[in-house]
Amino acid sequence: MIELQGVRKIYSGDNGRAPVVALDSIDLTIETEEFLCILGPSSCGKTTLLKAIMGLLPIDAGDIKIDGQSVSGPGTDRAMVFQNFALLPWADVITNIAFGLELRGMPKPERQQIANELIHAVGLTGFERYYPRQLSGGMQQRVGLARALAVDPNILLMDEPFGAVDAQTRRLLQEDLLALLERTRKTVIFVTHSMEEAVRLGSRVVLMTPRPGTICEAIEVKLPRPRPPDIEKHPQFIELKEYLWHQLRAMQVMTADHD
Amino acid sequence: MEHGADNHLSGMWKWSLRLGSLAILALSWELLAHKVSNLLMPTFTATLAALMRLLVTKRLWEALWLSNQAMVLGFTLAALCGISIGLLMGRYRTAEKIIDPYLSILLVTPMSAVIPIIVMAMGLGLVARVMVVFSFAFVTITVNTRAGMRMIEPGWVEMTRAFGGTERQLWLKILLRGALPAILTGLRLGLNRAISGMIAMELLLIAIGIGRLILDFQGYFEAANLYATVVVIIAEAVILTQLCQYLERRLTPWAGQVSSQ
Repeated sequence: MIELQGVRKIYSGDNGRAPVVALDSIDLTIETEEFLCILGPSSCGKTTLLKAIMGLLPIDAGDIKIDGQSVSGPGTDRAMVFQNFALLPWADVITNIAFGLELRGMPKPERQQIANELIHAVGLTGFERYYPRQLSGGMQQRVGLARALAVDPNILLMDEPFGAVDAQTRRLLQEDLLALLERTRKTVIFVTHSMEEAVRLGSRVVLMTPRPGTICEAIEVKLPRPRPPDIEKHPQFIELKEYLWHQLRAMQVMTADHD
Repeated sequence: MEHGADNHLSGMWKWSLRLGSLAILALSWELLAHKVSNLLMPTFTATLAALMRLLVTKRLWEALWLSNQAMVLGFTLAALCGISIGLLMGRYRTAEKIIDPYLSILLVTPMSAVIPIIVMAMGLGLVARVMVVFSFAFVTITVNTRAGMRMIEPGWVEMTRAFGGTERQLWLKILLRGALPAILTGLRLGLNRAISGMIAMELLLIAIGIGRLILDFQGYFEAANLYATVVVIIAEAVILTQLCQYLERRLTPWAGQVSSQ
């Protein structure tokens, strides 16, 4: 269980700019094995929140607890999938997937064996010796996902992971992610700015508003699991997506007025 | 297969073009020298003959040895200092803020003007020659190393942190690795600068080694020998550059071809 209490993050304004309150009074509890989607417009602090839970960013107030322990830095219980993949261009697929294990000091034969299993799991068999630049965006993110799964974390933190790929690839990646998670149950926090993606994947959707980044609403997604591929035809899917659109539009209009 | 044969063919075509242009150049030189026909301009064949004679003399190799001692020592020192300072500037903003103004000035300083100062301060010995070579190569290596550090994607650093990487692991597996293509480019360009520095110093103030040889031949109007000596020094620069480029391709194949000269 992940508990956030009164989390606040301020970016100090460099070069005379005013400080920015990126997160303010965030209270949120995430149950074990929950799939939580964080949805919101750009610069609403979604990514900041995710990095704070990862332990990459110190927070200015409040507390983040994982199973009762306060987060003070990155830990072996968490792994992250990055928006821009963050693959190493000089390393082939297998080395990239094994990189997290390499940092944790696992001997080469063992980590390569784990990487090989994951290459199969994410559907990249045959691409072991390829370099990132030889792969499409979707395949690169499969490597990023495999690298995160390789360290076998309890919590998977995903920062707009499918934001940089085309619509068809995105659908495939979503389906494969859900299938993978059916096999290895994990707590997932998934940041996205796509309403459809949030409803398709999440068991709960948290809606954030910008400036300062706060949680405005948390919505249960009462759709069957495992999610069928044509879930978008489900009346509740449509209803929920409409509702989220309504909320987001109000937010955008408000922010536009504010500016 | 077909692709390979195609490559082979275009490779042969490339080489015949190169050899052809070289032949035309040599022939033009030969004809021009015959037409001018004086002491100061040797023919291509005379230069070639002088080169062959020179290559078996002890005099040339002793000169090369003497010059390159200073070159190698100065270049090594410049590489050690340049890489370290470039890395520090790329990683720590404070180091960047303190050193950058000096580096910017050194970057535009005509280094030949600094040679007399170094000689006045350090005399005409090996130390002075090493320092001159150092001052020619150092800035180039520093600037390229820093550029390499700037090419490190913040995402790589963040990813390493997220997987629990230590500062030591970050340096070894990400920073040095990521900056390596630019560091190697810096070393190649710095080596060219080092050779320029070595020759400039030997021609301007400390007449020994290859520079002394060039000055002697010039003084006695031995034009063919003079040209041959210059060919030797160009050949050294070309061979060392090729060697560096080979290392760059072998060590950093992911970086692609860097075309800067």
